[in-house]
Amino acid sequence: MAVRTDVTPEETRAPLTERAARPSPFPDQAARHWFLSAIVWLTVVDLFGLVLATEFVTPEAFGGISWLSFSRVRPSHVNGVILAWLTMMYFGALFYMLPRLVGTRGMWSERLGVWCAWAWNVMYALGVIGLLTGHSQGREYGEFIWPVDILLLVIWCVNIVNILATVQMRTIRPIYVSVWFFIASPIWLAVDYAIGNVIWDPGKIWSAPSGALTNSLSDAILNWWYAHNLFGLWLTPMLLAITYYIVPRVTNTPLYSYTLSLISFWGMAFFYTGVGDHHILQSPTPAWLKTIAEVSSWMLLVPVFAFTINILGTMKGNWDKFFTNLPLRFTLTAFFFYFLVNIQGAFEALQPFNRLTHFTNFVVAHAHLALLGAFTILGMGVIDYMVAQVYQRPLFSRSLTEWQYWLVTVGFTGFFSVLTLAGFQQGFSWAQGIPEVNVLPQLHAYYIARGIFGAMIVVSGIIQIVNIGLTMFTDTAERRRLETLRVAEAVAPPVGG
Amino acid sequence: MTENEHERDDPRVPRGWARHPPERMLITPLIAGVGGLIAFFVVVFVVVWLPIHTFDPAASADWTPLTKDAVKGRNLFASNGCYVCHSGYSRPQDVRYALYFLYPKVSQPGDFFGSDQTPNLLGTERTGPDLSQESGWHPDDWQRAHFYDPRYMDPLSLMPSMKSLFSDSQVEQLVTYVETRSGKSGLLRYAGQLYAKHIVLVNQGFPEPYRGFQGAHKPALEGNDKILHPPKGQLEEAPNLSQIDRGYWLSGNPLPVTQQNLLRGKEVFLDRCVGCHGVDGDGKGPGASFLSPTPADFTDKDDACCGGDTGPGDFYYRILRGWPGTAMENFGDRLSVDDIWRVVLFLKTIPNDTLDKNVVPEPSDYIKWQPSKELLAWVKSTQKLENNVSFSKAEFADPYIQEAMRIFPGLAPGDSFLVNDGKTRLSLRDAASGIKTIYDDLLNRAWADARERDGKLPSVAQKAIPPTVPGQQ
Repeated sequence: MAVRTDVTPEETRAPLTERAARPSPFPDQAARHWFLSAIVWLTVVDLFGLVLATEFVTPEAFGGISWLSFSRVRPSHVNGVILAWLTMMYFGALFYMLPRLVGTRGMWSERLGVWCAWAWNVMYALGVIGLLTGHSQGREYGEFIWPVDILLLVIWCVNIVNILATVQMRTIRPIYVSVWFFIASPIWLAVDYAIGNVIWDPGKIWSAPSGALTNSLSDAILNWWYAHNLFGLWLTPMLLAITYYIVPRVTNTPLYSYTLSLISFWGMAFFYTGVGDHHILQSPTPAWLKTIAEVSSWMLLVPVFAFTINILGTMKGNWDKFFTNLPLRFTLTAFFFYFLVNIQGAFEALQPFNRLTHFTNFVVAHAHLALLGAFTILGMGVIDYMVAQVYQRPLFSRSLTEWQYWLVTVGFTGFFSVLTLAGFQQGFSWAQGIPEVNVLPQLHAYYIARGIFGAMIVVSGIIQIVNIGLTMFTDTAERRRLETLRVAEAVAPPVGG
Repeated sequence: MTENEHERDDPRVPRGWARHPPERMLITPLIAGVGGLIAFFVVVFVVVWLPIHTFDPAASADWTPLTKDAVKGRNLFASNGCYVCHSGYSRPQDVRYALYFLYPKVSQPGDFFGSDQTPNLLGTERTGPDLSQESGWHPDDWQRAHFYDPRYMDPLSLMPSMKSLFSDSQVEQLVTYVETRSGKSGLLRYAGQLYAKHIVLVNQGFPEPYRGFQGAHKPALEGNDKILHPPKGQLEEAPNLSQIDRGYWLSGNPLPVTQQNLLRGKEVFLDRCVGCHGVDGDGKGPGASFLSPTPADFTDKDDACCGGDTGPGDFYYRILRGWPGTAMENFGDRLSVDDIWRVVLFLKTIPNDTLDKNVVPEPSDYIKWQPSKELLAWVKSTQKLENNVSFSKAEFADPYIQEAMRIFPGLAPGDSFLVNDGKTRLSLRDAASGIKTIYDDLLNRAWADARERDGKLPSVAQKAIPPTVPGQQ
């Protein structure tokens, strides 16, 4: 076949497809601000984690710097992972997906979403400055001081208004599964946060005691009900919502079962809300409450299995894309870890197992399985997916994305395994009456390994920032096109070339 | 033709209920939002509202309020995130009837009574030990040095140093909180610790330890021998021996002096003891300047470590159970019996420079201990072995006497003599009444502060319930 040699310069600059030249009908301003903030916070909170891991190996590493003290960095890390990184990533994903699912051109107010993103960044920065300087409410997962709590809730409620108004002006009447969660989950969390932080009782405002019930054990019950619902009513439902979007969208396959998604939605609402007390199973709190927590923790497997079957059913016949499509690979890896964390959590909520593993690093491993293995890996995939869509160009480098995937997956798997083993070591030692301090030398090697695996995760997050930055600031579509032309010319050189 | 329409045409499917599930279970925004909230609040009613409004246990018999300073310390504890590594309740499986009494009792719901217990500090991780029963196990000077740099007191510790976090007055508040947080049983233990500190300082001519973090900037304290006037005819070491069960006074080593035993002893010493006793064993470790009396010096060849009145058994007992009133801790749960004896063997080689680097202690370095004539005479004349308190412990139900016996296990009920200042009387009865005075003072101040705080308080009858000595019977 003759090769055309009379290609004009105009033609070479023309896009490969007509679709790529069309401007996006979605402004996605709000989404961009939320998820770009999120990837920066991811590295910040990862670095907090690395500081902690280093202090486990050499407690004097940052000796003398009060704001790098373990006890202050640890709440900053935990709150940062949940509120800065994951929440901003989730709102970014929500602002991206919701207009596409309900058939509107953008959110009700994109500008409001942008303002909220900036306000949220300020909120977390203020909160974390407070924690690092010793201004904390001293309630685990609810450490932010009262003014920051209020700021957080105001922004959160504005986001809810934005979401509900967008749903109200939808052009597609029936709402998709993801949208159920997009409506319900932020509302749940707003109520959970307000009640859990006892915001009607500011107390000392700048430090403890503030935002806590007067009765200590009631406060503990409320504290852990609230803390677990950060996962149960916000982080997990949003993981479901996003997976319900990404998997059918990327595989171009309808969701396997509507009924199963109903079970996962209502199951989550009923069973997740009551599991909080399993964090204090051995404490002097009412036994009936512990029973409810244990039973709920197992009943939770019903919506989990419904979700799992639904996604596996959707993936049927599509597994080739798991290997070729990177966002899908991130999503399904997260999906696998999510399944695992629920099985593990159900066992941890049983008294005999809890007696062995509670207070040990096993619990830390479990928390990372959820927040790192499931939510963070999902978030990385979601952001890689959305950036390509929003900027309408392929990511700068596929191999960087591959590095990102393998570093976080291997890093996390190692991290999780090491801490699980360390947890068993602690649990079995304590059960023999060996005091905590005598177990510390045995944990040293685990702590070193944890630091190394943790560093891999930090690098993975930095790679993502680099990759996304280069995607934004260089015309990767044009670069890809020229590469394709070069390959084409190498395979079939122009006649006489 | 869609699947649905296909079903309608199918004669096998009865008409009427063949509508596809999505049509019957269609979720609208209202159902997702309001329905979701209803589901949420139904569960919240059961797991939050109900327990908060029905679960209000009365104060337990062991409960005490906190003083003003202790509350400030508690707030510092919360605001600086100490709870991320230290839990605040002990579980049934934590309570071991071992020699180290960090977990002497199971936390009861009533232990958490009172408005000074907010926010909750139950915690979820034990990177460090649980602190609910910490009061009184260590004296204040140990706590200050440990806050300044935990490695000073325990070289294995992973705890961050608090030197840049707290001012001198804040550290005192934290110490007050830690020392008075464990209810009446902890308060009694702390009263015993304070009384023992008083006796030890008076007996050895030492001043009060530095407050706050001052110990880090000041020279180590020194004892003033001139103010000491030991009574004539009384063994000079007698007040010190009164803190050691007399069954150990003349005890020899059960382990042979071998190179292996000495080497293991050196290893344990370097792991655990150098923060106070120093890498040279001269009692000048980095934490020493916080402590009063200062840690023991093991380098003096002539008296083979602390004189001919102090035998290996005494060293063994002090490592095993600690020395209340000094910073010497209780290692009974952390070291095996054999390892403690190996440390004792090794201590007796330190004057021969066995702590130098790369030196393997040899059995020939071991300095054999000979009881002094005075000690033998003292044991024969005054303090007979058969009067050992542990033989007659069951007779005493009074908790203050029990605590006095814990602090002075070497005293028999009938013993009474003056300590080395020549003025202060030492006997179980005197100790018990001293401990009771301190205990009552601590408790009264806590109640007075609680009344001022306008917190909810149990009836005065609760206050009158005497303390217990859990885990000691």
